[in-house]
Amino acid sequence: MTNTRIFFVGGLMSFRAQFNWLNPWILVPALLVSPVAQILLFAYVGRAAGVGDDQFFLVGNALNYAAIPCMFAMTFAISGERWGQTLGLVLVTPARRLPLFLGRALPVIVTGWCVAVFGLAVGSLLLGVRMGATVWPGLVLAVCVTSLSCTGLGLVMGAACLRVRDGATLGNVVFLLLLVFCGTNVALEDLPSWMAAVGERLPLTHGIEAARQLASGATLGSVSDLLVRELAIGLGYAALGLATLGWMERDSRRRATLERM
Amino acid sequence: MSFNVERGETFGLLGPNGAGKTTTIKMLITLLLPTSGSASVLGLDVVTDVREVRRRIGYVFGGDRGLYDRLSGLDNLRYFAELYGVEPREQRRRIGALLELVGMTGREGERVEGYSRGMRQRLHIARGLLHDPDVVFLDEPSIGIDPVGARELRATIASLKDQGKTVLLTTHYMFEADELSDRIAVIRAGEIVAEGTPAELKRRVAIGRVLEVETYGVPEPVVSALAELSAVRSVAVEERDQFQVLVLQCDADSDVTQEVLARLSGVRVGRVGVREPTLEDAYVQLVTA
Repeated sequence: MTNTRIFFVGGLMSFRAQFNWLNPWILVPALLVSPVAQILLFAYVGRAAGVGDDQFFLVGNALNYAAIPCMFAMTFAISGERWGQTLGLVLVTPARRLPLFLGRALPVIVTGWCVAVFGLAVGSLLLGVRMGATVWPGLVLAVCVTSLSCTGLGLVMGAACLRVRDGATLGNVVFLLLLVFCGTNVALEDLPSWMAAVGERLPLTHGIEAARQLASGATLGSVSDLLVRELAIGLGYAALGLATLGWMERDSRRRATLERM
Repeated sequence: MSFNVERGETFGLLGPNGAGKTTTIKMLITLLLPTSGSASVLGLDVVTDVREVRRRIGYVFGGDRGLYDRLSGLDNLRYFAELYGVEPREQRRRIGALLELVGMTGREGERVEGYSRGMRQRLHIARGLLHDPDVVFLDEPSIGIDPVGARELRATIASLKDQGKTVLLTTHYMFEADELSDRIAVIRAGEIVAEGTPAELKRRVAIGRVLEVETYGVPEPVVSALAELSAVRSVAVEERDQFQVLVLQCDADSDVTQEVLARLSGVRVGRVGVREPTLEDAYVQLVTA
């Protein structure tokens, strides 16, 4: 019961405490206006260059933007403790670390999902991309899996930010890498093979591909392989993040690095 | 260093910055591993019985940080109550009682970012007591708090003793340590240089008497000349806004007032007074010896 409450109640409270963007003046421009602007930018670049179609850019960029809250909110949810000097107080509690840190991921996944679905909905209206009602349930599921996998990466970044000084810079760099390597605006088969190989190992890539196929009318069963791979990559990153957090906690006890900035 | 704290005792750990007070506390609360030796809390080893130690201790430190500013005081308490596994029904009762104890009833719904330093510190105390710990570690809890707030905080700390809590307190305020501690250890560079009740410490250093002289612009050679008087053991200069206070620690049966004033001829002198040694005098002598 305690672990369940730490996961759900503690996770939500921690998210409210640490995610600095939970303010309409930041949330609306950063998580609602920006993704739509990115979708429009690449869609019109595509139109002007005569490459791709609006649906390609709509799906790619809407899902890509889910990575922003997933990475940044997760980073804030962990590294913010260090700046606020609450980390020591949290770690000195007997709470089990798995529900403690994974609980923080749940509201982040929901936020990422909302941002991507909002981008898809508004972007499709603005660009006039028609997707039938039957497409949406599968699309929403693909967004959910992709948000989860991006949050796994966010967990790794959050752990890294217990040692790295500037989490925001790291987040911006990783976001750009995802933009380039994950087939967001250039299909994986059009990238050099080494870039495609990197993309295959990153979250987002298989989620975007699955969502594109679903938007084009593919069945959920036909993209299940892609979604399972996306999920597996996300869980792999999450496991790496948790292991890193555990290692850093043990290391901080040995070397007094907990609050060293 | 080696020391024991009895159950129900308030134990003061004093020492200059960098002496090892906070490091000692962090080892005892399991945030740091001892590089050698051993430490136990309530008979539990701080290296091997980590979760059980954490369950039974509370930790409070001073300063502005250590709270979630964007949450209300109540949500801060609720969050840590969850982390300590306090049952929801018990949470409501316990948080209400603690808010009452620290005098914050009615303000708990406000965001912490709007709290004064004193309120934050009282909230820290409440947070540290949420799970009803047997041992409470207070690391400079009153740092930066105004005199009224500090007085209220001392009353709260004193009430912990009434509740049977064992308290380990570090502070730079000697009157606070004197008022609250049953026993005190003075540490310097990671070693205990004295241990005992406040009264024992004052006696142990055998300072004798303390002569305090207010001066305006006393030159350094004159201070050195005062230190050469046979009955004077040490001279310290405390800088105030417009003047300096010379603190001369003298032999118990001496009366050096006239000799001191004679050597201060030419220097504008204000109030002159003789007093008994305080814990601060004892502390200064111990850590500067």
